[in-house]
Amino acid sequence: MSKSLVSTICPYCAAGCGFYVAVEKGRATGIEYMLEHPANEGSLCPKGNAALEVVYSEDRLLYPMKRNGNEWSRISWDEALKLVSKGLGRTIKNSGPDFAGFLSSSKCTNEENYLIQKLARSLGSRNVDNCARLCHAPSVVGLNRTLGAAGMTNPIPDLANSKCIFVIGSNLAENHAILSRWIHRAKDRGAQVIVADPRLTHTAWLADLFLQLKPGTDVALLNAMMKVIIDEDLVDKAFISKSTKGFEDLVKAVKDYTPEKAAEITGVPAKDIVKVARMYAKSPASAILYSMGITQHTSGTDNVQSVANLALITGQIGKEGTGVLPLRGHNNVQGACDMGALAEFYPGYRKSDDPETAKFFGQTWDTISLPVGRGLTATEMIDAACNGELKAMYIVGEDPANSDPWSSHVKDCLENLDFLVVQDIFMTATAQLADVVLPAASWAEKEGTYTSTERRVQWSNRALEPPGEAKSDLEIVCMVAKSMGLNFDYPDAASVLAEINRLVPTYKGITRERLGIGGLIWPCPSTDHPGTPILHSAGFKLQDGRALIAPVQYKPAAEDTGTEYPLILTTGRIAVHFNAGSMTRRSPSLMERAPNLFVEINPEDAAPLRINDGDSVEVTTERGTTTALARVTDSVKQGVVFMPFHYPGTNFLTTDARDAEAKIPEFKVAACNIVRRD
Amino acid sequence: MMRVYVDINRCIGCRSCEVACKRVHGGKGHVNVHISEDRASVPLFCHHCEEAACTMACYSGALTKDGERTSFSLDKCTGCGLCRLACPFGVVWTDKLAHKCDLCAPNETPTCVLTCPAQALSNDYELALKRARARAGRATILGGKR
Amino acid sequence: MIQVDANKCLGCFACSNICPNQFITREEEEGKRRTIRWSKCKEECDICVEFCPAKALTLIPYSDSTPEVIEVSFDLVPCEVCKKGFATEPLLKRIRETVPSNLQTDSTGRSWVEICPFCRRELEAEMASKQVVQSRRK
Repeated sequence: MSKSLVSTICPYCAAGCGFYVAVEKGRATGIEYMLEHPANEGSLCPKGNAALEVVYSEDRLLYPMKRNGNEWSRISWDEALKLVSKGLGRTIKNSGPDFAGFLSSSKCTNEENYLIQKLARSLGSRNVDNCARLCHAPSVVGLNRTLGAAGMTNPIPDLANSKCIFVIGSNLAENHAILSRWIHRAKDRGAQVIVADPRLTHTAWLADLFLQLKPGTDVALLNAMMKVIIDEDLVDKAFISKSTKGFEDLVKAVKDYTPEKAAEITGVPAKDIVKVARMYAKSPASAILYSMGITQHTSGTDNVQSVANLALITGQIGKEGTGVLPLRGHNNVQGACDMGALAEFYPGYRKSDDPETAKFFGQTWDTISLPVGRGLTATEMIDAACNGELKAMYIVGEDPANSDPWSSHVKDCLENLDFLVVQDIFMTATAQLADVVLPAASWAEKEGTYTSTERRVQWSNRALEPPGEAKSDLEIVCMVAKSMGLNFDYPDAASVLAEINRLVPTYKGITRERLGIGGLIWPCPSTDHPGTPILHSAGFKLQDGRALIAPVQYKPAAEDTGTEYPLILTTGRIAVHFNAGSMTRRSPSLMERAPNLFVEINPEDAAPLRINDGDSVEVTTERGTTTALARVTDSVKQGVVFMPFHYPGTNFLTTDARDAEAKIPEFKVAACNIVRRD
Repeated sequence: MMRVYVDINRCIGCRSCEVACKRVHGGKGHVNVHISEDRASVPLFCHHCEEAACTMACYSGALTKDGERTSFSLDKCTGCGLCRLACPFGVVWTDKLAHKCDLCAPNETPTCVLTCPAQALSNDYELALKRARARAGRATILGGKR
Repeated sequence: MIQVDANKCLGCFACSNICPNQFITREEEEGKRRTIRWSKCKEECDICVEFCPAKALTLIPYSDSTPEVIEVSFDLVPCEVCKKGFATEPLLKRIRETVPSNLQTDSTGRSWVEICPFCRRELEAEMASKQVVQSRRK
C-alpha cells in the first residue's frame, strides 16, 4: 500500500506552521511533523494536531443549497450559480454596485483573496473587506502610517536573537503556541521577557516581569514608558535624527505621563513601569510582540502607533532581535490584506481612493472603469445592511453572525438583506441566514499560497479530494465571475499567482517554482531575490526614508463601569479553540477539552455575589445576557472578568463601539454584571 | 529509547501533547496536563520507573521492564485494573484494557516531544540537565529569582 | 460451569473482560459500589479460571441445582483526598502485598495506595510545581 506525504500549511493561526498530511488510497490517515520547517520545526499546537478532524467532520457541506423559509433544499451547481448571478446582478443593476458587499476570507489562499476582491471591483463595487477588520485593521493603518509597511518587521525565529522581549496584549502561549519555542530560546541565551496583560495568562508564565494592567489603558503605560526613556536619556539619538521625524512632538505629548499618573490609570506599579522602560531601552536588541489586546479597542490605531513610537525612539527596529511584531490571527489574514481584500486598499496596499490605482488595475483587468474610493468595511457593511444601504452580500469563509460584536444585532442586519450567498465548509450561523449556500473545499483539498504573520509566503498542496460536490473557493469564485459575464479564466492557483507576481511588487519574485518548504518572505522584488526577513534595515518606505513618530494621547475605552454594570468584561482566546469556533467546536478532541463557555472572575468579586467555582452564572451587558460557567481565579484582577469568544454566547455581549479610523470594534472592553443562576 | 523529561518552567499548558498522544494511539491518550494554582502546567505521563510498581502488580506479564522502558503488551492484558491502582502517579489507565505511555516505540522520538511547541518535553537527559544549570545561573544574575 | 469463591474474589475486571461469551458482566455505581455477575454457563471453557488473578474461580461440572446467577458485590473504598470510591478493598490489599512497602509512600512519606489515580496525578502535579510556583508568586 502506498502512502504519500503531502506538505501543507496549518489552517488555523497565522504562525504558518507546516506539516505533512499522510494519504493512503485517497484518504488522510494522519499527520507527520515537518521537522525541517523554519518556524515550527515540526511542532504543532493542539489545534494543528487535530486539524484533520475538521476535514472529516460529518457537518461538512456537500452540495449547493437554497433556502425556502426555514427549509433547505439541495440544488445543482448550475442552479446555484444562476441564483447567485441573479441575486447579485439584480442588486447591482437596480440599486448600483455599491449596494453589493463582498466579504473575502482570511482562511482562503492569496490567490482566492485576490480573485474575490477582483470580482467585487470588476463588478463595480468598492465594498470588499475581510475579517482583518476584527483583528488587525489598526495594525494595517497604524504601521503603514508610522513605519510604511504593515506586517511583522522581523521573522519568528529571529526572536531567539532578542535580548529583551516585550509582549503586550498577546496571549501567544495559547494562540500562537510555537512562538513560545523561540522566546524560550532567547531566554536560554539570557534574554529578559516582559508580559503586559489584564490576565495572568500562560504567556505570563514565560515572563520575568508581569504587568497586570487594566483593559484599555495601554497608551498610558506606553507613554509613561517613553517619558521615562526620554527623561533618563535612554533614547537612540542617532537613529531618531537619521531615520525618523516627529520626535519633538512626542516629547511634548508624553510630558505629563509620569509613572505615578500612569500607575493610577493602568493599575501597574510606577516602579515596574520605570523598570520595564529601562529594560526595553537599554537592551542591545528589544522586540515588541503584540496582538488583539492592543488592536481590539476604540483606541486600537493609537495603541499600535504608540507601540511603534516606543520602538522608534529607542532604535529597536531594523536589526536582528528587534522589531515591532504584530501577531496576526488567521492563517492568511496577512495575505488577504496584501491581496487588497480591504476597503481602503487594492492589491499591494495601493490606496483605493487614488484614481491612479483604479487606472493601474483597470489596464490589466480588462475592466474599463474600476471603482475609486474607500468602500464599506466589514463592520460598516453590517450597519449598511440594516439601514438598506447594502442589499446583497457574498460572504466567503467568514462567520460574522458569530465573530462580530453584538451578534443578535448582526443577525438582524443580515436578515434584512435582499440576497445573501455564503460560501463555507460548514453550515455556520451566518450560512443559516443565507439564501444560497455554496460548499467549499477545506485547506487540505486545495492548493495555493498563504502568507503567515511573519510575511512568509508558503505553498500548500492539495492532499485530498473535496467531499461531495464541494469545490475550492478559487473554482467557485471563477464560476460565479463567469456566470456574471466576467472573463475569469484561471485553470489553477499557479496561474493566479503569476498575475499577482505581475501586479504586486512585494510578491514579484515569489513564483510558484520558487516555493519550497519555508517559502519566501516578502518583500521579494525579483525572481533572484532571497526575500526580506527583516524590514526597515535600510530606512523606511515613507517620505525621505524616515519613519513617522506619531504621538497619541490616552483615551478611556468607550464603555465604563457604573452601578448597573460594575465589572469590565474582556474577551480573548484559549489554546484548544480558534476564533468563532466554527472549526474547533466541530473537532472532538478539542471540544472534549473545552466544551463550555466559561467566565473567569476574581475571588473578591465572586464572594459577595455568592458565586463559587463551577456555578452557572448569567453575564449581562447593555446588549444581552449569556449563561456561562464561573471559574473563580486570581488570574484576573478584581473588577475584570474574562470570557473566550469561541462560543456564540460571548459576542452576544460585546460592544460594536469602534476605532474611528480602523473601524475595529472594542471586543476587549464592555461593562457587564454577573449573577448566579439559581 | 530514552524516557521523557518535563521542564515545568517551559510548559505553557497548551495541551498539544495530550491531543497528539491521543491522535497517534488510536484515540487513547496517555498524557494529562494538570494546571497548578492557575499558573504552572504539568504534563503527567508514565515515568518508566526503575522499580516499576505496575510491573510488580501485573500478574499476566503484560507490563514488564524492557531496559529503561516500562513496556506493555496488549495481547497479555486482562484488563484487571491492578496496574492502574499500583501506579503511584496515576498514569496507567484502564479503559477495558490497560494503556500507558509506550514512548511511541518503535519511533526514536516520542510524539509529545516532537509536537511540544515550547520544547518543555525532551528525551535528552543532557539537555534537561543543561537547562537546569542555566536556570540556576540566571537566578543569580536576576537577583535570586528562579 | 464456574464456581466462584467470593472470599478470594478481588472484584477486578479480568474475568468479565476475558469471557468470550459475555457470561460475566459487571456493574458499577459510580464511586460507590461494584457488582460482578456470573451467569450460569454450560461451556467447557476455563479461560476465566486461567486468568483470574486471585484464583477465585473453578470449573465444575454442570448442575441444575445451582442458581442461574452468582453475584458478588463490593463497596468501593473512598479516596483519602476526594472521598469518591475508586477501588475494592481486596484490590488495594493485593497492591499492598505485591508492591514492596518502601515503594508505597511518596517522597514526603505519605502512602499513596488509598488515594485515587486522579488525585495521585493532582498531588504529583502540585508537588512537581510547588517550588516553581512559590518562587514566581514573589
